[in-house]
Amino acid sequence: MRREAITETGGGADAPAPADRRSILVWDPLVRLVHWGVAGAVLLNATVIEEESSAHELIGYIAVGLVATRLVWGVIGTHHARFSAFPPNPVAALRHISGLIRGRRKVHLSHNPAGALMVYNLWATLIGMGVTGYMMGARAYFGMEWVEELHEGLFVWLMMSVGLHLAGVVVDSLVTRVNLVRGMVDGRKSVAAGEEAE
Amino acid sequence: MTAPKMGSKTDERRAFLLAAVIVLQAVTAVFFLADVVADLIHDGKLDDIHMWLELVATGALGGGVIFLMVELRRVMTRLATLDRSMRAAQGEMAEVIDVFFTEWGLTPAERDVALMVLKGIDNDTIASLRGTAPGTVRAQCTSVYSKAGVDGRAQLFSVFMEELLAVEG
Repeated sequence: MRREAITETGGGADAPAPADRRSILVWDPLVRLVHWGVAGAVLLNATVIEEESSAHELIGYIAVGLVATRLVWGVIGTHHARFSAFPPNPVAALRHISGLIRGRRKVHLSHNPAGALMVYNLWATLIGMGVTGYMMGARAYFGMEWVEELHEGLFVWLMMSVGLHLAGVVVDSLVTRVNLVRGMVDGRKSVAAGEEAE
Repeated sequence: MTAPKMGSKTDERRAFLLAAVIVLQAVTAVFFLADVVADLIHDGKLDDIHMWLELVATGALGGGVIFLMVELRRVMTRLATLDRSMRAAQGEMAEVIDVFFTEWGLTPAERDVALMVLKGIDNDTIASLRGTAPGTVRAQCTSVYSKAGVDGRAQLFSVFMEELLAVEG
C-alpha cells in the first residue's frame, strides 16, 4: 500500500499564488541533521582535509555514524523517513524521470522514486567508503593495494552521484514547483492547494 | 491560537535537541564499535576488561539511541497532528468566511477589506495596504457591516466565532 501523495496536474496551469499553498512538515530534525552532517563531512574530506590524516579518519567515522543512524531511523522513524515511504523501485524511478522530462508535475511528500534510488546509492557508497577507509587503517589489511583502489574508486563514484543528486534536486524543484532544498532546511514542503492527497 | 503555537515551538526545540543527542551518541557508538573490532582483528580475544567495557559502552549508547528515537518519533507525531488539525481548521475557516461573504453579496473590494478587518488590521493600515484613503476604507467597512447586518467590528467577529463554536445537533 502506497500512502504518500502522488498527484498529477496539467503542466499548463498557472503557478498558484503563495496564499494557495500549504506547507507540510515532512522532514524531521534527525533527517535534516544527518543530511547536512553527511554533506559537510563529504565536502570536508573531499577538499580541505588531508588524506591519511587523523582528521580524515575522524570525519569518516562521523559520516558512517550519521548514515548508520539514518538506516536505523529508516526502520523506526517518522512516516516520511521510513524506508516503506520510499521503497527502491527502478521502474517507478524511470517513470518519474520521463515524467519530469515531459514537464509532468508529480509531488511526493517523501523522496520521489528517482531520489529514493539516489539516496540508497549514496548510503551504500558512503558505507563502502567507510569500510574500505577503516580497512586501510587496520593492520590486517595494511598496504593492500586493492583496498586503497576500491576506496578511491568509490570516491569517484560518490562525486558523480553527488553531482547527479544536485542536478536532480534542481530539476525536480523546477518542474514540480516544490522547493526541495527548503524541505531539507526547515523540514517543510510547500504544496499547491488541491494538488496532493495524503 | 497562541497556546498550540507555543506548544509546537517547544516541541520543535525538543525535537532538535533529541536529534542532536541521537546523532552524537550514534557517532560515538560507531567509534567504540570500530575500536572493538580493530582489537578483535588484532588479537582475536575478548578477555580484556578494557574490551568488555567498550562493548558495554557501545551497547548502552546503542540502546540510548533507540530509546531517544522512539521519543523523537512521539514528538514528531504530535507536531504532525497539530500541523494537520491547524491546517484543516484554517482551510475550513477560509471556506466558511467565503460562503458568508458571497451570501452577503460583498464586492471584491469589500471582501478584501472585510478579510483584513477579520485579521485584526486597523483601518489606517488597511488604507495604506490597499493604497486608498482612510475615508474609503471606513465607507467600505460601513457597507460590509450593513450587508452583514451587524453593528461593527466586534459583531462581525462574533458571526464567525458562533460558527466555529456551534455544536452540530
